Amino acid sequence: MNKIFFNFFISFIAVLTGLQAQNLSGSVTDSEDGEPLVGVNIVIQGQNQGAVSDFDGNFTISNFESGSTLVFSYVGYKTLNLKISPTDVLSDNISVLMDKDLSELDEIIVIGYGSQKLSDISGAVSTVNADAIEASSPVRVEDALQGQASGINIISSGSPGSKPTVLIRGITSYAGNDPLVIIDGISASIDDLNSLNPNDVKSVNVLKDAALASIYGVKGGSGVIVITTKSGERNSETKFTFSTSVGSQQVVKTIDVLNASEYAAILNEASVNAGEGIVFPNISDFGVGSNWQDEVLVDAPIVNHSITASGGSENTSYYVSAGYTGQDGVVAGGEKSFFNRTNFTTNFNTDLSEKTKLLINTNYSNIKGKSLAENGITSVLSNALNFDPTVSPFENGTFGISETITQEIVNPLAQIDNTYNENKVDKIQGKIELQYELMENLNITSRFGYTYVNIYDKGFVPFQFYGTGHNQTNANPDLTPIVTIDSEGNITSTHNRVFEGNTNFFNYTYELYGNYDFSINENHNFQTVAGFSIGEGKGSNISATNEDVPFNSWDYADVSAATGNATQQTSGSWQYVNRNLSYFGRVLYDYNEKYYASFTVRVDGSTSFGKNNKFGFFPSASIGWVVSKEDFFDEMPVLDYLKFRASYGTLGNDNINPQFSLISTFPSYVFSGTITPGSSLGSIPNDDVSWENQVQMNVGIDTRVFNDKVSLSVDYFKKTVDDLLFSPNLSLYLGVPSYPTTNIGSTESTGLDATISLDTSVGGLSISSDINFTTAENEVISINNGDKYIWGAGYGIPYRNIVRFEEGFSPGYFFGYVTDGIFQTQDEVNNHATQNGAVPGDIRFVDVNGDGIVNDNDRTQIGDPFPDFTIGWNLNLDYKAFDLSLFAYASVGNDIYRAYERNLNYTNRFASTLSRWTGPGTSFDEPRVTFVDSNNNSRASDRYIEDGSYLRIKNIQLGYSFPVSLVDVWGFDEVRAYVQVKNALTLTDYSGYDPEISVGGVLNTGIDYGTYPQPRIWSMGVNIKF
Amino acid sequence: MKNLKKILLLILVTSLFNRCTDHVDYEAIEGYQITSEIYFQQEADYDAALVGTYDVLQWLFFNIQLGAIASEITLCGGESATDYIGIQQIDDMTHYPENNVLRQIWQFLYEGVNRANYMEENKANIDFEGKEAMYGEVYFLRAYYYFELVKFFGDVPLFTEARLTAGQAGTLMRTPKDEVYAQIELDLQNAIASLPNSQSQVGRVNKYTAYALLGKVLLYQDKFAEAASALDNVIGVYSLVSDYGSQFLRFGENGPESVFEIQYSNQSNWYDWGCAHCSEGNYAIIMNGPRGWSGPEYAQGWSFNVPTEEFYNSFEEGDSRRDATVLDIEAFAATTGASYTEGYDHTGYFNNKYIPRAGESGGQTELNYLTNFRIIRYSDVLLMAAEAYNRGGIDDGLAQEFLNQVRRRAFGGDDNDISASGSALTDAIWEERKFELSLEGHRFFDLVRTGRASSLIAGFVEGKHEVFPIPQQEVDISGLTQNAGY
Repeated sequence: MNKIFFNFFISFIAVLTGLQAQNLSGSVTDSEDGEPLVGVNIVIQGQNQGAVSDFDGNFTISNFESGSTLVFSYVGYKTLNLKISPTDVLSDNISVLMDKDLSELDEIIVIGYGSQKLSDISGAVSTVNADAIEASSPVRVEDALQGQASGINIISSGSPGSKPTVLIRGITSYAGNDPLVIIDGISASIDDLNSLNPNDVKSVNVLKDAALASIYGVKGGSGVIVITTKSGERNSETKFTFSTSVGSQQVVKTIDVLNASEYAAILNEASVNAGEGIVFPNISDFGVGSNWQDEVLVDAPIVNHSITASGGSENTSYYVSAGYTGQDGVVAGGEKSFFNRTNFTTNFNTDLSEKTKLLINTNYSNIKGKSLAENGITSVLSNALNFDPTVSPFENGTFGISETITQEIVNPLAQIDNTYNENKVDKIQGKIELQYELMENLNITSRFGYTYVNIYDKGFVPFQFYGTGHNQTNANPDLTPIVTIDSEGNITSTHNRVFEGNTNFFNYTYELYGNYDFSINENHNFQTVAGFSIGEGKGSNISATNEDVPFNSWDYADVSAATGNATQQTSGSWQYVNRNLSYFGRVLYDYNEKYYASFTVRVDGSTSFGKNNKFGFFPSASIGWVVSKEDFFDEMPVLDYLKFRASYGTLGNDNINPQFSLISTFPSYVFSGTITPGSSLGSIPNDDVSWENQVQMNVGIDTRVFNDKVSLSVDYFKKTVDDLLFSPNLSLYLGVPSYPTTNIGSTESTGLDATISLDTSVGGLSISSDINFTTAENEVISINNGDKYIWGAGYGIPYRNIVRFEEGFSPGYFFGYVTDGIFQTQDEVNNHATQNGAVPGDIRFVDVNGDGIVNDNDRTQIGDPFPDFTIGWNLNLDYKAFDLSLFAYASVGNDIYRAYERNLNYTNRFASTLSRWTGPGTSFDEPRVTFVDSNNNSRASDRYIEDGSYLRIKNIQLGYSFPVSLVDVWGFDEVRAYVQVKNALTLTDYSGYDPEISVGGVLNTGIDYGTYPQPRIWSMGVNIKF
Repeated sequence: MKNLKKILLLILVTSLFNRCTDHVDYEAIEGYQITSEIYFQQEADYDAALVGTYDVLQWLFFNIQLGAIASEITLCGGESATDYIGIQQIDDMTHYPENNVLRQIWQFLYEGVNRANYMEENKANIDFEGKEAMYGEVYFLRAYYYFELVKFFGDVPLFTEARLTAGQAGTLMRTPKDEVYAQIELDLQNAIASLPNSQSQVGRVNKYTAYALLGKVLLYQDKFAEAASALDNVIGVYSLVSDYGSQFLRFGENGPESVFEIQYSNQSNWYDWGCAHCSEGNYAIIMNGPRGWSGPEYAQGWSFNVPTEEFYNSFEEGDSRRDATVLDIEAFAATTGASYTEGYDHTGYFNNKYIPRAGESGGQTELNYLTNFRIIRYSDVLLMAAEAYNRGGIDDGLAQEFLNQVRRRAFGGDDNDISASGSALTDAIWEERKFELSLEGHRFFDLVRTGRASSLIAGFVEGKHEVFPIPQQEVDISGLTQNAGY
């Protein structure tokens, strides 16, 4: 009744005022390329009435009155206010052009339990959109963040599918620095990103400061990566996209090692220097010998295929995709080293009622892989670098062996052949979410997110032969078991062995929260959220091994098929569970989009915390001021936009396990020849242990100049972590139990993130470019622990410690001896501090503490693996149907420690040996060669430190979009083909394979164990939309 | 769709009130872990804890190795001059407080002390038959661990009541050596009082083991009369095997001459290079083997702890112990056609008492050798008794008799009997210890105890090298004073 009356009333008024109400139709297109814009929101100003443009950009508005203003809004475009004149109305089909909003400041950013316009955010956030991810076409989505977002440092490895080191704003913790990952509202970790298809990602936002991250409280201390996946559009026909690319990967650089005759000559000299005889009487026989690096490095393919369909009806939208990524390893190729991932993603949402929306996201992935030993003395690359070049790859149909190398180092081809393993991962991750509009602007969200992972591993150690007496040999040359008979006639034999393991993880989080947005007096705008979250994570593993695999064959390698008896079988298992319960709330406020403030609070409880500290409280606040909205600002030349931001708050890190006074049943002893189980105290608890408490301050400025063509954002931050979690080094007279993790240290990080962007066009050429600058300086302020340091990684045989986390230093710095050239004469040795075993030709080490003797106490800081700063540079050019994108990345000031040299007498040496010391004045940096290194020239020292700074052109992609006329004939909407080269060029002084070294942990960053190099990848691909 | 409202409300209510804050409590049982609160409630827990206290004995392979390497009779060897730098330095007497091997010895011995103390701490919990005898083993083991500590480091922190807690880190000072010896003697007297004369299981210590160790502890303090009377209890309880070399082979283990052996087994294939001592095998064995070995009888190893040519040649003519003690690898290879590669400090000789023998390890070869360490043999008891009777001026005749029992076995008759007395007899007993007990962990400590180290060991500085340095880490963390000269 009311409605009819209302319509009548409007018509009546219209007649009275001489205006006509009628239907208005038109179409909306992009002002630049004329593409129809789908889903543009069109409302009549001051009324609740409006429409949405359809698939062809067409819209119709009924009961339109001429003279009214239409407001067109669309994500990524400038909002357009259009006053419609009567003539327009009469023309019955108006065409509207919308301009892209190049500043993208009105982009909606998902910030955790809500979203906000980028321009409204007063915290620190970096964003990367789908285009940038697509342009870099990574195997793992986080690789696409490198250099694209300021404040993030990503160190990648070339190993197929491997996890990079991701640091958001420096290193603050010893216990863990991986950021939290949120995928569509679901908690995940960097490890989970192996299963996400980058093609499904719509945007990645990195929450860097406390104001934004503290909504995630104790998990947010290392920053938060918020990933939003693609979803369908309501009211649109089904749109398909198909993308495919194929590429080839090559290792560009090899390391100079000695060839066979150089090797033989050097070994002769080393033997003679040690007072022994010549090893190889006939050097000339050898020629260049085997180049083991060439033998193991191959060109390997990489492929990507994905198909998606998306669309929606009035009440429902959907996005489904299927993807496949296959990457073979450049070390040894795809038979023994690969990463294959298949994904199926379904994102679905529907209106259950006018006020209730249901969202179901499901991502299933299947990953298969095989791998070879990496990053250590026994890795394939280490063998390729260190193995004897005088040995032939194959001799008489079997792999060549060395008679003189009897430890660890083997023919890498034989090693590859003898490596058998597989890894299968099935993972299902998703959410079920209900959104209910309780009243206008008050929405309740109920979300259940889950991840289930099943990992199956298998490994097989076959009979293998690397030479008689080699410590990796477990068989005779004909691969029969080695049978030994002892003095009493007892027979023992070697065995091959198979391992199988099955691991399950299940995590869930249930969250319930309400969002309420309101305004007071039109100018005071509030966005609020409050809710709680409850979750659990469980993991369990069971594994078994057995010996005597039939036929010594991978085909029969299974615990069920192996014939070993009961004593040859072993089994193991482990499990864990953790739970958390959190409450959170946030108020965002702005006054007329000019003054901003926010306040956030989270309370976290966790099973990880000690009994006396179950709940932690994490508040934060921020303010912002858009100066350019002030009246006085209008007179400012050049400057179009200026905003100041500041935030302050606390975050946490809970990388600890529940603690108890545990009895270990591991000890055992032998009575009457039988192993008898025993017990001892294994660990001691700390009931007071709590989270690491981080206080972070951020100040930032955003500005745009020259008619919005250039924009600049700069943030400065300072993070202080108190209550740093450590397992302390206690008095040795306490014995060996593991002592409780305690909160006993603090660190501080400061840094600057900056982004400068340019968007312009010259003639038909549109140019967009941005430069990201990231720097962070870290220092360990205190460790309230006996000796004030904790060792990180080390390397080699014998093992040498090299990394320290120490009070007063940058976390994870390199620690060792300082070299000071070569002793040229015995006088120089005599005049130097006592250095045991030194003779002329040996390295002179600096007596740092000046006590007259060179020993362990003279070790000091010799390098830092983390860069002083990194810079990413993106350039995108569009000209007619062509597009070019280029991305370069530079890391400056990072040191690398070379740790791939085995240094056995008969292992190969590196090209620098050719300029060794052979007498006074012959060399001032390369020591003599000798079989008896009495000076320990190979001790951990700055001799192995190199500057790892580099500039790398990471990605060049040139695309061509086929003309619409042609594409139409093919039945497609859009066809784009491209060629791409990744890691095209690297400029560096570093002598190893790759200056970008990630081994997985922060405290072994920058140690080159023979790192898996990032290959150059040539690829070509096609994207089709229809 | 009104139902939806109800569903939402139900979810809200159940999740808020279901288990809320106790959701974040956690008990060890959820991870199937045993806590100390529920332990020491039954006899089996005590049995297991005692096994755990014995367990640490297996970790002490470097104690035995260094008894030879630190002395003049072997060189460190290994792959190169930098292989196991800690023991290379000890071989050269250039060691200093930063030394991984010494730190390990210190920490392991204290783990043994703490495990014994943990039993002491829980002694009163329950009563059961045989508890006193069981604690006799505990006190013996604690005495052994403290004795090793005193031998290596001199004055050391002493505590006996309970396992130390984290809060006690850095609170202890070094106790004078004499007081530690007094505690060792007390523990051994208590052990003697409660231990049985024999044990049903091979490898457990009995009353005579405790008497033998007490005799040794007293001899180290030059308490000759007390040592003689302690050792008297052991004389005649054990006997010398006729073939000297046989007792170092697999089937000579725990024989009639064995007073105390550290037991190892090859029955487990378990190993972890990050915890090499944690296996049930003897780690020292692989260290002492010939490098790149291809041949009969022996198996390959890492060529450490190699006897010097001088030592090999110092054996008297006709002494059957020479070939049982030292393997002349060149001669062996020449007769059997075996091959090997030379390591650092190659002398041509190998430690034939503790050497990898073919087939004596488990599936994981390096860390699972079954070879036991012979810690106290009856011939050691005889020689200690001889020394006590001689140096204490008690009875040189009896001393000669004990000494000559050992020599007759070595030479297969009494032609080589010693008839000296006084200090000449002392010298003869000391010299005999070198040939009879070499490579078994005694030599360096015998030289130090008898004041001969500086004259025989190159680089040995009197007033400094009698004890090893307190590990630097312990000095830093716990504020302990360092030994003189380091």
